[in-house]
Amino acid sequence: MRFLGRHRGIAALVAVFILGCIVSPRNLRTGEIVFLTPGNQSNVLFEYSEYGLLAVGMTLVILTAGIDLSVGSVLGFIATLFSFLIIAKGVSLGPAVLICIIAGCGIGATNGLLVAKLRIQPFVATLAMMVAARGAAKLVSGGIKIAHGARPWYILQDAPPRVFEWMTAPYAGGWLRPVTLLFLVTIILAALIVRYTRFGRYLYAVGGNEEAARLSGVDVARTKILAYLISGITAALAGISSACRMGYGDPEAGATFELDAIAAVVIGGSSLMGGRGGVMLTLIGTLIIGYVNKILSLIGWQEAQRLLAKGVIIVLAVVIQETRRRRV
Amino acid sequence: MKCAWLVVLIFAILSLLTGCAPKPATDTGPTPNVDTPQSSGLAPEAAQTFTIGMSQCNRGEPWRVQMDEDIKTAAAEHPELEVLFKDAQNKTEQQQAQVREFIAQGVDLIIISPKEALPLTKPVDEAMAANIPVIVLDRKIEGDNYTCFIGGDNVLIGREAGKYMVELLGGKGKVVELQGLATSTPAGERHKGFMEGIEGSEIEIIFSADCQWLEPNAQREMNSALSRFEQIDAVYAHNDPSAHGAYQAAKQEGKGREKTIKFIGIDALPHEGVKYVEEGILAATFQYPTGGREAIEVALKILAGEKVPKNITLGTRKFTPDNVKSGGEEIPAPEG
Repeated sequence: MRFLGRHRGIAALVAVFILGCIVSPRNLRTGEIVFLTPGNQSNVLFEYSEYGLLAVGMTLVILTAGIDLSVGSVLGFIATLFSFLIIAKGVSLGPAVLICIIAGCGIGATNGLLVAKLRIQPFVATLAMMVAARGAAKLVSGGIKIAHGARPWYILQDAPPRVFEWMTAPYAGGWLRPVTLLFLVTIILAALIVRYTRFGRYLYAVGGNEEAARLSGVDVARTKILAYLISGITAALAGISSACRMGYGDPEAGATFELDAIAAVVIGGSSLMGGRGGVMLTLIGTLIIGYVNKILSLIGWQEAQRLLAKGVIIVLAVVIQETRRRRV
Repeated sequence: MKCAWLVVLIFAILSLLTGCAPKPATDTGPTPNVDTPQSSGLAPEAAQTFTIGMSQCNRGEPWRVQMDEDIKTAAAEHPELEVLFKDAQNKTEQQQAQVREFIAQGVDLIIISPKEALPLTKPVDEAMAANIPVIVLDRKIEGDNYTCFIGGDNVLIGREAGKYMVELLGGKGKVVELQGLATSTPAGERHKGFMEGIEGSEIEIIFSADCQWLEPNAQREMNSALSRFEQIDAVYAHNDPSAHGAYQAAKQEGKGREKTIKFIGIDALPHEGVKYVEEGILAATFQYPTGGREAIEVALKILAGEKVPKNITLGTRKFTPDNVKSGGEEIPAPEG
């Protein structure tokens, strides 16, 4: 019981998983539990990799007691930018990815500077960036989706770029989709950074007690800027994933994703007050959201019930977190 | 004091940028046409130029971007027309204000694609009271105090899609339906029409989900359907993005099922559905006409003083791989 008490996130994930097995419909011919099939399991990881990527960056920002509302719009902007570079301008893959990452860094760093140097509330600074990035996405795309053949002057006309296909093709029975791998590698890297670097320890210090951190010699501004910058990078990676998964750059992509990313962080068990939590917890949170959505989708519930169920689960997760904090 | 000047300066720059100087009276209510002498000039002369105000409820949806585009293209053929476009960004209050701005500006005719019926009825009344004819596009307003309503028929489109599905599958098969936002009227009507279309056949809907018109949702729901059912013969999606999402899901599954499943979508935007049919992704798409071109034709008649029908229901066009090159096949709306 103590183990479960300490690892509530894992316990919740297991509970959701078991629930999935119980209520899942069975394959009509083979009688397999659909929820358990490898295809279904790899689908969850694949479908939620964008949310997961956003949530990774969000975790770092939330650890500093901040919030990044811009990630969904940045995803949309990078998805259009990436598609624009490759499809409309014929830029080759390497430079296109590089430009997108640099753009993500720039946006993240701007958020960080606004928060750390100009002392603007994270909520306000990133809200402004959320609006501006959505504008940038529409500016790049001219209001339509950037797909091959959408405009007569596009360089790539007859088929989607090869990289789009390659990034989403299933290898090893669907387990090794490059988009999924990108997500998993990013989350492991981020977890290592947070756990084993000085920057990682500073994140907790800044989020736990900013003044104390400052007095003990932590460069608070630099830590915050770096956290937002990484959030910009993961949003850029999610944008590239979105373009590949959809087959085009949609200026509307990622709308409200920031809320799901925040939800994944919170459900995982990180505290919105900062200073408590971790990247692997976010993976658990993402999986819980992913599984819950998948179960509701498999059994074919209607939207109304789904939303209600999701609301209840989010509240439950936060309640569990609260009781733990009071006890400690 | 410095601060106050800064605020004034910023406000001045902003109003210059947005092209609207600070208005002393924004809520003048029903007497906005005091300084609009040309608004009552309904009898046109040959060399006269006309200004049309177009209030679009939002430009976030590609279909509505296309509507504006259609209006622009059609109006470009008539040098005597000038169209002013406004985008209400999905805010009802903003759209109310836009209609009143058009009245105050004294445009010759207003085209409105309203976001909501009830709140926009009054501004339209005011325009009619100021002798400015109003064409209502796509969504209706309350009552009948407007000059002309032009809109597509979702039940008809759904029915045609259903009939084509019967033809495509030889009257028998298992179908996944990917609905639009289930609470919205177009989704309800596209579903109702489809059921009418497949009536009497052995087509069975085995999985149905609310995708809220969004492609990522459709892709996820289709993944669920694919993992649940080994036999899926066709997908009926309430819009082309959802149909495309379903195709992507089947392709990314990696079993080659995207080649055996037939996908049918609705909307037929040139850069979307029609292109998907050309590429062989969709088996068919049915146009939900924007009415933009028709609105300009009707506007010209109104401005020339001709009588126009009160309600115009638009037909649809069917795009299949066979006819997509020649611009699809027209399906007229039934009379009455």
